[in-house]
Amino acid sequence: MSALILGVLLLSSCSKSWLDVAPKGTALESNYYKNAEEAYNGLIAAYNPLGIECGKTYSNKIGPLNSASDDCYAGGGSSSDVPAWQVWNNYTIDAATGIQADFWSRNFIGVYRSNLLLQKLPNTSMNDSLKARYVAECKFLRGYFYFDLVRLFKNVPLFTAPVEPKDWFNATQVGPQATYAQIEKDLNEAIAVLPATVPASENGRVTKMAAIALLGKVILYQNNESRMLEAANLFEIVNSSPNYALLADYGKIFRPDNKFNSESIFEIVHTAQAMMGWESWPNFQGNLLTQMCGARSFTGPTYVAGWGFNPITPELVAVLKSDPRYKYTVVNIDSMKTAGLCSYEKGYQNTGYFLAKYAPLKEFYSTIGGDPVLNYPNDEMEIRLADTYLLEAEALVRGGGDLGKAQVYLDKVRARVKLPSVPVTLDNIKKERRLELATEGHRWFDLVRWGDAPTVLASKGFKAGKNEILPIPLTELSNTMLVQNPGY
Amino acid sequence: MYPYGQKVRAFRSRLILLTGLLWLSVTMLFAQNTNQYSGTVTDKQGETLPGVNVLIKGTTNGTATDMQGAFKLTSSNTKETLVFSFIGFITQEVQATAGVPVKAVLVSSTVGLSEVVVIGYGTQKKTSVTSAISKVKGQDLEYLPIVRIEQALQGRTTGVSIASSSGQPGASSTVRVRGTTTINNSNPLYVVDGVPIDNGGIDYLNSSDIESLEVLKDAASASIYGTRGASGVILVTTKKGKEGALKVGSGSMSVNFNMYFGTQSPAKKLSLLNATDYATLRNEAAVNGGQPSIFPDPSIYSTGTDWQSTIFNNGAKIQNYELSVSGGNDKSTYYTSMGYFSQEGVVATSISNYKRLTLRFNSAHKIKKWLRFGNNLGYTHIKSQGSLNTNSEYGGPLSSAINLDPITPTVITDPALANSPPYSNHPVERDANGYPYGISSIVVQEMTNPLAYIQTHQGNFGWSDNIVGDIYAEIEPITGFKIKSDIGAKLAFYGDESFAPVTYLNAATYTTNNSYYRSGNRGFIWNIENTASYTRSFGKHNATVLIGMSAYVENAIGVNATYKNLPVNTFNEASMNYNLAASDRVGGGWEAPDHKVSSIFARALYNYKEKYLFMGVIRRDGSSRFGSNNKFGIFPSVSLGWVASRENFWPQNKVVTFVKIRGSYGVNGNDNIGDFQYMSTVGGGRNYTFGNDNYVIGYSPNAPANPDLKWEQTSQMDVGLEATFFEDLTLVFDWYNKQTTGMLQPVVLPGYVGANGSPTGNVGSMSNKGVELELGYHKKIGEWDLKFNGNCSYLKNRITDLGTVQYITGATFQSSAYEISRLAVGQAMGAFYGFEVLDIFQSMAEVHHYKDANGNMIQPDAKPGDFRYADLNGDGKIDASDRTFIGDPTPDWSYGFTISASFKGFDLMIFAQGVAGNDVFNGLRRLDIPTANWTSDALGRWTGPGTSNIYPRLVAGDPNGNFSKPSTFYLTNGSYFRFKTIQLGYSLPKKIVNKIGLQLLRVYLTGNNLFTFTKYQGYDPEIGGASYGIDRGVYPQARSYMIGLSVTL
Repeated sequence: MSALILGVLLLSSCSKSWLDVAPKGTALESNYYKNAEEAYNGLIAAYNPLGIECGKTYSNKIGPLNSASDDCYAGGGSSSDVPAWQVWNNYTIDAATGIQADFWSRNFIGVYRSNLLLQKLPNTSMNDSLKARYVAECKFLRGYFYFDLVRLFKNVPLFTAPVEPKDWFNATQVGPQATYAQIEKDLNEAIAVLPATVPASENGRVTKMAAIALLGKVILYQNNESRMLEAANLFEIVNSSPNYALLADYGKIFRPDNKFNSESIFEIVHTAQAMMGWESWPNFQGNLLTQMCGARSFTGPTYVAGWGFNPITPELVAVLKSDPRYKYTVVNIDSMKTAGLCSYEKGYQNTGYFLAKYAPLKEFYSTIGGDPVLNYPNDEMEIRLADTYLLEAEALVRGGGDLGKAQVYLDKVRARVKLPSVPVTLDNIKKERRLELATEGHRWFDLVRWGDAPTVLASKGFKAGKNEILPIPLTELSNTMLVQNPGY
Repeated sequence: MYPYGQKVRAFRSRLILLTGLLWLSVTMLFAQNTNQYSGTVTDKQGETLPGVNVLIKGTTNGTATDMQGAFKLTSSNTKETLVFSFIGFITQEVQATAGVPVKAVLVSSTVGLSEVVVIGYGTQKKTSVTSAISKVKGQDLEYLPIVRIEQALQGRTTGVSIASSSGQPGASSTVRVRGTTTINNSNPLYVVDGVPIDNGGIDYLNSSDIESLEVLKDAASASIYGTRGASGVILVTTKKGKEGALKVGSGSMSVNFNMYFGTQSPAKKLSLLNATDYATLRNEAAVNGGQPSIFPDPSIYSTGTDWQSTIFNNGAKIQNYELSVSGGNDKSTYYTSMGYFSQEGVVATSISNYKRLTLRFNSAHKIKKWLRFGNNLGYTHIKSQGSLNTNSEYGGPLSSAINLDPITPTVITDPALANSPPYSNHPVERDANGYPYGISSIVVQEMTNPLAYIQTHQGNFGWSDNIVGDIYAEIEPITGFKIKSDIGAKLAFYGDESFAPVTYLNAATYTTNNSYYRSGNRGFIWNIENTASYTRSFGKHNATVLIGMSAYVENAIGVNATYKNLPVNTFNEASMNYNLAASDRVGGGWEAPDHKVSSIFARALYNYKEKYLFMGVIRRDGSSRFGSNNKFGIFPSVSLGWVASRENFWPQNKVVTFVKIRGSYGVNGNDNIGDFQYMSTVGGGRNYTFGNDNYVIGYSPNAPANPDLKWEQTSQMDVGLEATFFEDLTLVFDWYNKQTTGMLQPVVLPGYVGANGSPTGNVGSMSNKGVELELGYHKKIGEWDLKFNGNCSYLKNRITDLGTVQYITGATFQSSAYEISRLAVGQAMGAFYGFEVLDIFQSMAEVHHYKDANGNMIQPDAKPGDFRYADLNGDGKIDASDRTFIGDPTPDWSYGFTISASFKGFDLMIFAQGVAGNDVFNGLRRLDIPTANWTSDALGRWTGPGTSNIYPRLVAGDPNGNFSKPSTFYLTNGSYFRFKTIQLGYSLPKKIVNKIGLQLLRVYLTGNNLFTFTKYQGYDPEIGGASYGIDRGVYPQARSYMIGLSVTL
């Protein structure tokens, strides 16, 4: 009898099906992306790297770029606080230490997720026009991420599909021309399909105009003077669009209660709704630059204490001082302190001047949950109208185009803040870009593409022929076929 | 911190060879009388032996000893040779003289001949075992302050290395059986009374409930647990009741009560700089860096704050109480016990302590001659507080105490200061007198006043309730043929509670909204095992055949909730009964899918005259963790033995009484990876926001799929020798070669792949080779009872293949850009990786003369006092590619010994253990806090030519990377030798205790962790856990003194 039971048990225990455990609450890649909802979830994942604020370290896109430029220093609590920012500020950046690992992975994650969805969408059962829009968005995003990769690293591997296991360790870099060509192809294909506008609930999703503006930048950044008018024509489409207008009040461009305003062309969205706590590192959804750029141990009106990063350089303060945009760009905590209005702790490289555009304002300090320092809802203005006005003016000037039109756009930017016209020269456009777009993360890219970085950033230690691009992250070189960038 | 390479090989096997060969004579007492011969017969342990045959040599005149082991004989001669014979003992002849009582001591025919060892699904006579199994007997653990059973193995068995993760009460240890078997999870499998206890949780066992611990070390012994036997199997058998008929008078019941109570203190305190020295060195570093001096007059700070002493407790209590009742008759036996253990931590006691309550009920019944039934059941409740980092450089009281400046006072008593920021405008912590705890303005980040930190972590605790047990039925329809069915389960409930108050510890560490967290989890394991075995002897052939099947399922679930913005601000007042807004109540949950294993197995044991031995095992396992093409794995083993001393040609002698040579080979498997690793699962959390706060969850694959994932395999060859010399001295020697192939590990993908996580692959191989020596000696000389047990193991671990990658990054070192360990082919697991310090530049001339082959300066920016690094690749500069393997955290040698002696009522036990041939990384000081305090070896820093060749100059910014580059500077030889436990006991004479109705009354004194000999300057060179061999500020071990009492009714 027992032997019989034993025998039955022996047989049953050998059955393979008993060992087949299906994952619950966990979908499999092999059967996911089957309908519109799942495709949408995949699309969100492709957008997600836009808002990545941390990887191995704090890596909001704007903060480290500010540190590298002459707009700001790295700052923080000490010379070793967030080394990735410090070494880009003083140009001791090397393959091992720097922001490159985070920038590299953020953009390649974006490339992969765009590629994955592009690979899956043909088999998704969903409305064809919606599918076409998703394809276009993925192509825009792939172009966007590769644009950052090519201008930060120049020599990167180019993927238009998820990397196959056999190629995991075999990929090689391509030259910037190939990458730029792919970006242009992607953006052109996206422009053909993307909607001109999106409903308010979808604000932040890419539009035709965002793609056109980005394509204009992509062409401009290639520094090919013969294509400047091509870029100018693209910017003109955006700049002449009735969808956009400069805000009358410069001070309202960056306010979280004025998101997606008429000046916003492409905006990276942050929210307090995620209610993130520290345990969620690094997947925060708030804007960490806002927390980082506040004055340390600040006690006083208007602002919340931050960590003292990105103190504004005295040089930028000097050129902005008499400009109407000064008070919307620079928070002079020192003068507040002198006036007895506040107290704060002077951090490393403190100048007393702090970012105004992304400042931690008390009114946006989250009270709905999570750690408020991780949940600032300040969006990043990735492309805004004043930027494309000035880019068009620059393209026209450099390409020998219509200078009258260039003058109009330069004047519009200045007139908005009640400044008189100045002649539309490349030099004046450069000056205007610095003042108008200060601390927004454009300055370093501008200096590099103009070839001005070696002189302007010499005092910070910038070395020509080396520091125009970042090193390939050290960890990326082990076990792969990648080649380090020159000088690193 | 000394340059690597000064390996001290002080403690080696020679210690083991000091085998107390001091006591080597057999003593027989005899005297004369006319015609009467009398005496008593005992075994070597002094137990009287009833039923021993006593014969006058050459006659048929004989008798047998009575219940007290006494005998009487008469003879016509005044001198006779008495022959004592008894089953299982060497027949002994004693010259006796009439009238003088004989005290005969019989020696077991082979030491341990009748001893059996547990081998998994059965037992085997020790003399016939052909595989490598180490055993620790429960009786050797009695009275010892062993909190977790793995501690019982440290220094007591060969081939097992144990490293405690910290001195936090209840802290687990890193247990490695014959080295690190695999990169992924090398924890051995614990099987308690047949129930596999996976994934930790073994601390539910009370060590005094242990009958025996068997460590299955080689493939042949572990292959019966094929699935997860690769990293060794530890079989735990709990105590059973004994049939009590033999002991007349005491009935069939035995009641034991044991307790100890003691006090503990940290075994070591770091020598840190006082405030004056600290300010002096800070000034020096600033001036060296071209900055102005910071502290105008360092002497005004005097000695300053000794942060360590604010959190160290030199009177932490430890206590243990155990009561057991056992007994039975020929039908039923039982063992029931309860125990209570409580230990206060020696650091930050109010947030570091451990309490455990254990209950056990084991019983066995013979219902019919052919039917047995039984159960083993244990229940344990544990409550532990450990709200501090036990080995982490990031915050927490210990790390803060090491890194905080000694200038900041513990409390601010100056009213002016206390009424100014930050004390006046932040919710700072205050002491009982209302004074705010000092907040350092010098050392910030997450280094906070430890007293304030402790205050904000009051009450937080973790708890667990474990119920582990099995029931079995066994039928024996024909003699020797047994069918057994055993169902076991482990049900674990566990969780934790914590409260984070609104507080301000410093500018970087503050909480603006309080929160209260609670989690509740349940883990469940059940397994069913059916076996059929048949044992039979055919003439001189003895055979046992076993077949069986088992099925195993494990799963777990959990929920948790966080309540925020409570109207109260302490743990004691916090409650989840508060009616809070829904947005202030956040819930979470998780579940682990079923992990299933199904197995069939067979084992054949055969021997011829217990002389030629054979064992063959085969097991087929199926696991839910692999895809359909690789679900099953087959794990065979074979082992052979030859008891040479049983051969006829073996000369009858008293020098070598037993010799066995054995060898084994087999293959074990490992499925110890997460679930669904062969699939690519899609996970959420890749979110983005559209519009005004339209926050959407995004999904993407967690890692690429690897459908071909299969079993990791470990094959092992073992050759062993067991011998007994002079009847008293036992020796076990083993050599093994263990090879792991197809190691399950994450395939680290380049960032450009863009994947979220890493797929698991069968990548890489590892090799472990070693030798082990175990010696035992037991001798009774008169009223002296002497015992020695020593062991020594040598291990060489090497990674032999890593697949496509050249190395895998190991441990990281704070903010340093360079990792400090790498897994690489040809290196040991966890090998330290970094720069090689040659010496210190004593002058600018030396800097200038340090040139490469082309005459270029190698360190042009260095200054006198900076390290001279070896330019290993000869490229004329010092950079990342000049790093190499500089040390190994795993000991080459581990050893231990126990010496016990008893005389009359007194007993003394000395237990010592140690390791040799390993390195410790001293990562105590924070790199990214230039203002952090130093240990006092910084006083020996370089200050001018000839001042130091070891400790570099201090300079703000550390431009040469003297400290930020992980180098040989940070490594110290981690060898140590420790007198772990010394116990002195006294048992009242039997006559006296019998009068008051007791069997035994013993009092004892125990000292634990009394002396440690090591070169390492940190808290303790023994550092297990996740940060193996890396001291990031490890919780110091406790030195304890205990007094104990043991009573047997």
